[in-house]
Amino acid sequence: MQLHLVKEILPDSVSTDFQNLNRFNEQQFPRLVEILFQFLLEPKETERFLQQLTEFAGEHGMSAGLLRNLMKSVLLVPQGALKKNLTAEQIREDLVTLGLNEDKAAFFSQQWGEHYAALSKCAIGQTLMVNQLVDMEWKFGVTVGTSEVQKVGHIFLQLKLVVRKGTSTENVYMELTLPQFYNFLHELERAKTSMECFS
Amino acid sequence: MAAGVSEEDFSNLQLLLKAPSKDAVRDVCVQSHKDGSNHRLIENTAATFSISAAEATRLIQSLHVLSHHVLYQNLTSPEQILAVFPESFHSSLKNLITKILLKNGPTWRTEALSNQISLPQLKDLDWRVDLVSGSDSLSRMAVPTCLVQLKLEDPCPPAGEDTVSTVTVELSRESLDTMLDGLGRIRDQLSVVAGK
Repeated sequence: MQLHLVKEILPDSVSTDFQNLNRFNEQQFPRLVEILFQFLLEPKETERFLQQLTEFAGEHGMSAGLLRNLMKSVLLVPQGALKKNLTAEQIREDLVTLGLNEDKAAFFSQQWGEHYAALSKCAIGQTLMVNQLVDMEWKFGVTVGTSEVQKVGHIFLQLKLVVRKGTSTENVYMELTLPQFYNFLHELERAKTSMECFS
Repeated sequence: MAAGVSEEDFSNLQLLLKAPSKDAVRDVCVQSHKDGSNHRLIENTAATFSISAAEATRLIQSLHVLSHHVLYQNLTSPEQILAVFPESFHSSLKNLITKILLKNGPTWRTEALSNQISLPQLKDLDWRVDLVSGSDSLSRMAVPTCLVQLKLEDPCPPAGEDTVSTVTVELSRESLDTMLDGLGRIRDQLSVVAGK
Protein backbone atom coordinates (compact mmCIF):
# COMPACT_ATOMS: atom_id res chain seq x y z
CA MET A 1 0.00 0.00 0.00
CA GLN A 2 1.49 3.35 -1.02
CA LEU A 3 0.70 6.00 1.54
CA HIS A 4 1.87 9.52 2.26
CA LEU A 5 1.18 8.78 5.90
CA VAL A 6 3.59 6.86 8.06
CA LYS A 7 2.29 3.26 7.99
CA GLU A 8 3.42 2.41 11.51
CA ILE A 9 0.95 4.76 13.13
CA LEU A 10 -2.05 3.00 11.62
CA PRO A 11 -3.80 0.38 13.74
CA ASP A 12 -4.20 -3.16 12.41
CA SER A 13 -7.94 -2.63 12.29
CA VAL A 14 -7.62 0.25 9.83
CA SER A 15 -9.28 -1.47 6.83
CA THR A 16 -12.20 -2.65 8.97
CA ASP A 17 -12.51 0.80 10.50
CA PHE A 18 -12.79 2.47 7.11
CA GLN A 19 -15.33 -0.05 5.85
CA ASN A 20 -17.39 0.78 8.93
CA LEU A 21 -17.05 4.47 8.19
CA ASN A 22 -18.35 3.92 4.68
CA ARG A 23 -21.63 2.71 6.20
CA PHE A 24 -22.54 6.12 7.60
CA ASN A 25 -24.97 8.08 5.42
CA GLU A 26 -24.90 11.67 4.04
CA GLN A 27 -26.18 13.18 7.29
CA GLN A 28 -24.24 11.02 9.71
CA PHE A 29 -20.78 11.17 8.13
CA PRO A 30 -20.49 14.99 8.03
CA ARG A 31 -21.61 15.21 11.65
CA LEU A 32 -18.95 12.66 12.68
CA VAL A 33 -16.31 14.56 10.72
CA GLU A 34 -17.42 17.77 12.44
CA ILE A 35 -17.03 16.17 15.88
CA LEU A 36 -13.61 14.86 14.86
CA PHE A 37 -12.34 18.25 13.71
CA GLN A 38 -13.70 19.98 16.80
CA PHE A 39 -11.58 17.66 18.85
CA LEU A 40 -8.51 18.08 16.63
CA LEU A 41 -8.74 21.84 17.07
CA GLU A 42 -9.16 21.61 20.83
CA PRO A 43 -7.26 18.48 21.83
CA LYS A 44 -7.72 19.11 25.53
CA GLU A 45 -11.47 18.62 25.28
CA THR A 46 -11.45 14.82 25.54
CA GLU A 47 -14.56 14.74 27.79
CA ARG A 48 -16.55 16.74 25.28
CA PHE A 49 -15.37 14.56 22.40
CA LEU A 50 -16.43 11.34 24.12
CA GLN A 51 -19.71 12.94 25.23
CA GLN A 52 -20.54 14.00 21.67
CA LEU A 53 -19.78 10.50 20.36
CA THR A 54 -22.00 8.93 23.02
CA GLU A 55 -24.86 11.27 22.08
CA PHE A 56 -24.38 10.52 18.38
CA ALA A 57 -24.42 6.79 19.09
CA GLY A 58 -27.63 7.22 21.07
CA GLU A 59 -29.33 9.23 18.31
CA HIS A 60 -28.50 6.65 15.67
CA GLY A 61 -29.06 3.51 17.67
CA MET A 62 -25.52 2.19 17.76
CA SER A 63 -23.15 1.06 20.48
CA ALA A 64 -21.36 4.01 22.09
CA GLY A 65 -18.39 1.84 22.97
CA LEU A 66 -17.92 0.62 19.41
CA LEU A 67 -18.27 4.11 17.98
CA ARG A 68 -15.71 5.51 20.41
CA ASN A 69 -13.20 2.82 19.56
CA LEU A 70 -13.77 3.36 15.85
CA MET A 71 -13.23 7.10 16.14
CA LYS A 72 -10.15 6.73 18.31
CA SER A 73 -8.43 4.76 15.59
CA VAL A 74 -9.74 6.98 12.77
CA LEU A 75 -8.26 9.93 14.70
CA LEU A 76 -4.75 8.59 14.12
CA VAL A 77 -5.06 9.39 10.42
CA PRO A 78 -5.48 13.20 10.63
CA GLN A 79 -3.02 13.36 13.56
CA GLY A 80 -0.39 11.57 11.48
CA ALA A 81 -1.22 13.74 8.46
CA LEU A 82 -0.69 16.90 10.47
CA LYS A 83 2.70 15.75 11.69
CA LYS A 84 3.71 15.08 8.10
CA ASN A 85 2.27 18.37 6.82
CA LEU A 86 0.12 16.53 4.26
CA THR A 87 -1.93 18.56 1.80
CA ALA A 88 -5.67 18.10 1.31
CA GLU A 89 -5.03 16.19 -1.92
CA GLN A 90 -2.53 13.86 -0.24
CA ILE A 91 -4.88 13.04 2.59
CA ARG A 92 -7.70 12.38 0.11
CA GLU A 93 -5.47 9.92 -1.77
CA ASP A 94 -4.52 8.15 1.46
CA LEU A 95 -8.10 7.83 2.65
CA VAL A 96 -9.10 6.25 -0.66
CA THR A 97 -6.11 3.89 -0.46
CA LEU A 98 -7.17 2.92 3.05
CA GLY A 99 -10.64 2.02 1.82
CA LEU A 100 -12.81 5.08 2.39
CA ASN A 101 -15.19 5.69 -0.54
CA GLU A 102 -14.45 8.57 -2.94
CA ASP A 103 -17.29 10.90 -1.83
CA LYS A 104 -16.45 10.61 1.82
CA ALA A 105 -12.72 10.99 1.15
CA ALA A 106 -13.38 14.14 -0.90
CA PHE A 107 -15.55 15.59 1.86
CA PHE A 108 -12.97 14.84 4.54
CA SER A 109 -10.13 16.34 2.53
CA GLN A 110 -12.16 19.47 1.82
CA GLN A 111 -12.73 19.91 5.56
CA TRP A 112 -9.01 19.27 6.10
CA GLY A 113 -8.12 22.06 3.68
CA GLU A 114 -10.44 24.49 5.42
CA HIS A 115 -9.14 23.74 8.89
CA TYR A 116 -5.49 23.26 8.01
CA ALA A 117 -4.27 26.69 9.08
CA ALA A 118 -6.00 26.43 12.45
CA LEU A 119 -4.71 22.87 12.92
CA SER A 120 -1.12 23.92 12.22
CA LYS A 121 -1.40 26.80 14.62
CA CYS A 122 -2.69 24.39 17.26
CA ALA A 123 0.23 22.03 16.63
CA ILE A 124 2.70 24.90 16.91
CA GLY A 125 1.11 25.84 20.21
CA GLN A 126 1.70 22.31 21.43
CA THR A 127 5.36 22.36 20.54
CA LEU A 128 7.70 21.90 23.46
CA MET A 129 8.75 25.08 25.19
CA VAL A 130 11.28 25.02 27.98
CA ASN A 131 10.70 27.31 30.96
CA GLN A 132 7.99 29.14 29.11
CA LEU A 133 7.23 32.63 30.33
CA VAL A 134 3.53 32.68 31.14
CA ASP A 135 3.06 35.95 32.97
CA MET A 136 4.82 39.09 34.05
CA GLU A 137 3.84 41.47 36.86
CA TRP A 138 5.61 44.61 37.85
CA LYS A 139 5.61 47.57 40.14
CA PHE A 140 7.86 50.51 40.49
CA GLY A 141 8.33 53.07 43.20
CA VAL A 142 10.72 55.30 44.99
CA THR A 143 12.93 54.33 47.91
CA VAL A 144 12.52 57.22 50.34
CA GLY A 145 14.81 56.09 53.14
CA THR A 146 16.75 53.17 54.56
CA SER A 147 18.05 52.21 57.96
CA GLU A 148 21.45 53.53 56.91
CA VAL A 149 20.49 56.65 55.01
CA GLN A 150 17.49 58.63 56.16
CA LYS A 151 16.64 60.44 52.94
CA VAL A 152 16.98 58.87 49.55
CA GLY A 153 15.20 59.31 46.25
CA HIS A 154 15.85 56.26 44.11
CA ILE A 155 13.46 54.85 41.57
CA PHE A 156 13.32 51.06 41.55
CA LEU A 157 11.45 48.60 39.41
CA GLN A 158 10.40 45.16 40.62
CA LEU A 159 9.46 42.42 38.21
CA LYS A 160 7.83 39.08 38.82
CA LEU A 161 8.14 36.55 36.02
CA VAL A 162 5.96 33.46 36.13
CA VAL A 163 7.75 30.56 34.45
CA ARG A 164 6.19 27.22 33.59
CA LYS A 165 8.38 24.38 34.81
CA GLY A 166 6.85 21.06 33.84
CA THR A 167 3.34 21.02 35.22
CA SER A 168 3.76 23.73 37.82
CA THR A 169 4.87 27.33 37.70
CA GLU A 170 7.71 29.11 39.44
CA ASN A 171 7.87 32.79 40.33
CA VAL A 172 11.09 34.67 39.74
CA TYR A 173 11.42 38.03 41.47
CA MET A 174 13.95 40.68 40.60
CA GLU A 175 14.73 44.31 41.00
CA LEU A 176 16.13 46.66 38.41
CA THR A 177 17.59 50.12 38.61
CA LEU A 178 16.52 52.60 35.97
CA PRO A 179 19.56 52.12 33.73
CA GLN A 180 19.11 48.36 33.98
CA PHE A 181 15.47 48.73 33.00
CA TYR A 182 16.31 50.76 29.91
CA ASN A 183 18.96 48.24 28.93
CA PHE A 184 16.48 45.38 29.46
CA LEU A 185 13.92 47.10 27.25
CA HIS A 186 16.52 47.84 24.60
CA GLU A 187 17.77 44.24 24.47
CA LEU A 188 14.27 42.81 24.21
CA GLU A 189 13.45 45.21 21.39
CA ARG A 190 16.51 43.92 19.59
CA ALA A 191 15.32 40.34 20.15
CA LYS A 192 11.92 41.27 18.72
CA THR A 193 13.52 42.77 15.61
CA SER A 194 15.53 39.60 15.17
CA MET A 195 12.37 37.47 15.45
CA GLU A 196 10.57 39.62 12.93
CA CYS A 197 13.14 38.70 10.30
CA PHE A 198 11.71 35.20 10.34
CA SER A 199 8.05 36.01 9.98
CA MET B 1 21.57 51.68 62.85
CA ALA B 2 21.51 55.40 63.34
CA ALA B 3 21.31 56.58 66.90
CA GLY B 4 22.18 59.94 68.37
CA VAL B 5 25.79 60.51 69.39
CA SER B 6 25.99 60.68 73.18
CA GLU B 7 28.25 62.56 75.58
CA GLU B 8 29.85 59.27 76.46
CA ASP B 9 30.66 58.67 72.78
CA PHE B 10 32.43 62.03 72.58
CA SER B 11 34.38 61.30 75.71
CA ASN B 12 35.49 57.96 74.16
CA LEU B 13 36.53 59.79 71.00
CA GLN B 14 39.08 61.77 73.01
CA LEU B 15 41.08 58.52 73.12
CA LEU B 16 42.06 59.38 69.55
CA LEU B 17 44.46 61.91 71.04
CA LYS B 18 46.63 58.92 71.89
CA ALA B 19 47.01 58.03 68.21
CA PRO B 20 50.62 57.91 66.98
CA SER B 21 49.74 59.72 63.72
CA LYS B 22 46.94 61.29 61.69
CA ASP B 23 47.01 58.26 59.40
CA ALA B 24 46.25 56.01 62.37
CA VAL B 25 43.21 58.15 63.18
CA ARG B 26 42.03 57.92 59.60
CA ASP B 27 42.51 54.14 59.45
CA VAL B 28 40.57 53.47 62.61
CA CYS B 29 37.72 55.79 61.49
CA VAL B 30 37.37 54.05 58.15
CA GLN B 31 37.57 50.52 59.52
CA SER B 32 35.23 51.11 62.42
CA HIS B 33 32.56 52.35 60.01
CA LYS B 34 32.26 48.88 58.46
CA ASP B 35 32.12 46.98 61.74
CA GLY B 36 31.93 48.55 65.17
CA SER B 37 32.87 45.39 67.06
CA ASN B 38 35.57 43.74 64.99
CA HIS B 39 37.94 41.91 67.34
CA ARG B 40 41.01 42.18 65.19
CA LEU B 41 40.48 45.91 64.79
CA ILE B 42 40.08 46.28 68.55
CA GLU B 43 43.32 44.40 69.20
CA ASN B 44 45.27 46.36 66.60
CA THR B 45 43.95 49.68 67.83
CA ALA B 46 44.77 48.80 71.45
CA ALA B 47 48.32 47.96 70.39
CA THR B 48 48.82 50.98 68.09
CA PHE B 49 47.37 53.52 70.48
CA SER B 50 48.80 51.90 73.64
CA ILE B 51 45.40 51.76 75.27
CA SER B 52 43.58 48.90 76.95
CA ALA B 53 41.32 46.53 75.03
CA ALA B 54 38.32 47.89 76.88
CA GLU B 55 39.20 51.45 75.87
CA ALA B 56 39.77 50.38 72.26
CA THR B 57 36.34 48.68 72.21
CA ARG B 58 34.60 51.84 73.43
CA LEU B 59 36.51 54.03 70.99
CA ILE B 60 35.67 51.91 67.98
CA GLN B 61 31.99 51.64 68.90
CA SER B 62 31.72 55.40 69.36
CA LEU B 63 33.44 56.08 66.05
CA HIS B 64 30.98 53.70 64.42
CA VAL B 65 28.02 55.54 65.96
CA LEU B 66 29.39 58.91 64.83
CA SER B 67 30.13 57.93 61.24
CA HIS B 68 26.75 56.25 60.85
CA HIS B 69 24.98 59.24 62.32
CA VAL B 70 26.66 61.50 59.77
CA LEU B 71 25.70 59.06 57.00
CA TYR B 72 22.09 58.70 58.13
CA GLN B 73 21.51 62.43 58.48
CA ASN B 74 23.39 63.03 55.24
CA LEU B 75 25.63 65.70 56.79
CA THR B 76 27.73 66.83 53.90
CA SER B 77 29.15 70.22 54.79
CA PRO B 78 31.90 70.99 57.33
CA GLU B 79 29.54 73.24 59.29
CA GLN B 80 26.94 70.47 59.62
CA ILE B 81 29.47 67.97 60.93
CA LEU B 82 31.25 70.40 63.27
CA ALA B 83 27.88 71.23 64.78
CA VAL B 84 27.52 67.64 65.98
CA PHE B 85 30.45 67.98 68.41
CA PRO B 86 30.05 69.56 71.86
CA GLU B 87 31.63 72.99 72.49
CA SER B 88 34.24 71.56 74.82
CA PHE B 89 35.61 69.01 72.35
CA HIS B 90 39.31 69.25 71.48
CA SER B 91 39.41 71.65 68.56
CA SER B 92 42.14 70.17 66.28
CA LEU B 93 40.86 66.64 66.83
CA LYS B 94 37.38 67.86 65.91
CA ASN B 95 38.69 69.35 62.67
CA LEU B 96 40.65 66.20 61.80
CA ILE B 97 37.66 63.90 62.41
CA THR B 98 35.42 66.22 60.40
CA LYS B 99 37.86 66.18 57.50
CA ILE B 100 37.98 62.36 57.53
CA LEU B 101 34.19 62.07 57.69
CA LEU B 102 33.72 64.54 54.82
CA LYS B 103 36.21 62.72 52.64
CA ASN B 104 34.68 59.25 53.13
CA GLY B 105 31.03 60.33 53.23
CA PRO B 106 30.24 59.94 49.51
CA THR B 107 31.84 56.47 49.36
CA TRP B 108 29.94 55.33 52.43
CA ARG B 109 26.68 56.63 51.02
CA THR B 110 27.17 54.81 47.71
CA GLU B 111 28.06 51.61 49.56
CA ALA B 112 25.04 51.87 51.85
CA LEU B 113 22.71 52.38 48.92
CA SER B 114 24.13 49.52 46.93
CA ASN B 115 24.02 47.18 49.91
CA GLN B 116 20.50 48.01 50.97
CA ILE B 117 17.96 45.21 51.16
CA SER B 118 16.36 44.43 47.86
CA LEU B 119 15.06 41.63 45.73
CA PRO B 120 17.67 39.79 43.67
CA GLN B 121 19.12 42.29 41.26
CA LEU B 122 19.35 41.81 37.54
CA LYS B 123 23.04 41.75 36.76
CA ASP B 124 23.13 40.54 33.20
CA LEU B 125 20.84 39.72 30.31
CA ASP B 126 21.57 37.55 27.28
CA TRP B 127 19.17 36.47 24.58
CA ARG B 128 19.05 34.35 21.47
CA VAL B 129 16.46 33.81 18.76
CA ASP B 130 16.02 30.29 17.40
CA LEU B 131 14.02 29.10 14.43
CA VAL B 132 12.17 25.93 15.39
CA SER B 133 12.22 23.81 12.26
CA GLY B 134 10.54 20.66 13.50
CA SER B 135 8.87 19.08 16.49
CA ASP B 136 6.96 15.96 17.43
CA SER B 137 3.71 17.72 16.59
CA LEU B 138 4.80 19.10 13.19
CA SER B 139 7.71 17.59 11.31
CA ARG B 140 8.25 20.72 9.23
CA MET B 141 7.78 24.16 10.68
CA ALA B 142 9.50 27.51 10.77
CA VAL B 143 8.56 29.22 13.99
CA PRO B 144 10.86 31.69 15.72
CA THR B 145 11.27 31.47 19.47
CA CYS B 146 13.31 33.56 21.88
CA LEU B 147 15.44 32.42 24.80
CA VAL B 148 16.37 34.96 27.45
CA GLN B 149 18.90 34.31 30.16
CA LEU B 150 18.82 36.50 33.24
CA LYS B 151 21.64 36.58 35.80
CA LEU B 152 20.38 37.58 39.19
CA GLU B 153 22.40 38.48 42.23
CA ASP B 154 20.79 38.22 45.62
CA PRO B 155 22.37 40.61 48.13
CA CYS B 156 20.97 38.63 51.07
CA PRO B 157 20.79 35.00 49.96
CA PRO B 158 19.23 32.37 52.22
CA ALA B 159 21.84 30.43 54.19
CA GLY B 160 23.86 28.01 52.12
CA GLU B 161 22.80 29.39 48.74
CA ASP B 162 24.80 31.20 46.13
CA THR B 163 24.36 34.87 45.59
CA VAL B 164 24.25 34.49 41.80
CA SER B 165 21.47 32.53 40.11
CA THR B 166 20.63 32.11 36.45
CA VAL B 167 17.14 31.86 35.00
CA THR B 168 16.53 30.94 31.37
CA VAL B 169 13.11 31.67 29.96
CA GLU B 170 11.60 30.84 26.58
CA LEU B 171 9.20 33.26 24.94
CA SER B 172 7.02 32.90 21.89
CA ARG B 173 6.67 35.88 19.60
CA GLU B 174 3.31 36.76 21.11
CA SER B 175 4.72 36.64 24.66
CA LEU B 176 7.62 38.87 23.69
CA ASP B 177 5.24 41.38 22.09
CA THR B 178 3.03 41.39 25.17
CA MET B 179 6.04 41.77 27.43
CA LEU B 180 7.32 44.70 25.38
CA ASP B 181 3.87 46.31 25.59
CA GLY B 182 4.04 46.06 29.36
CA LEU B 183 7.59 47.39 29.50
CA GLY B 184 6.59 50.25 27.19
CA ARG B 185 3.86 51.20 29.60
CA ILE B 186 6.38 51.19 32.43
CA ARG B 187 8.64 53.47 30.39
CA ASP B 188 5.77 55.88 29.74
CA GLN B 189 4.83 55.96 33.40
CA LEU B 190 8.45 56.51 34.38
CA SER B 191 8.64 59.53 32.06
CA VAL B 192 5.57 60.97 33.74
CA VAL B 193 7.12 60.48 37.19
CA ALA B 194 10.49 61.83 36.08
CA GLY B 195 8.81 64.83 34.49
CA LYS B 196 7.13 65.83 37.78
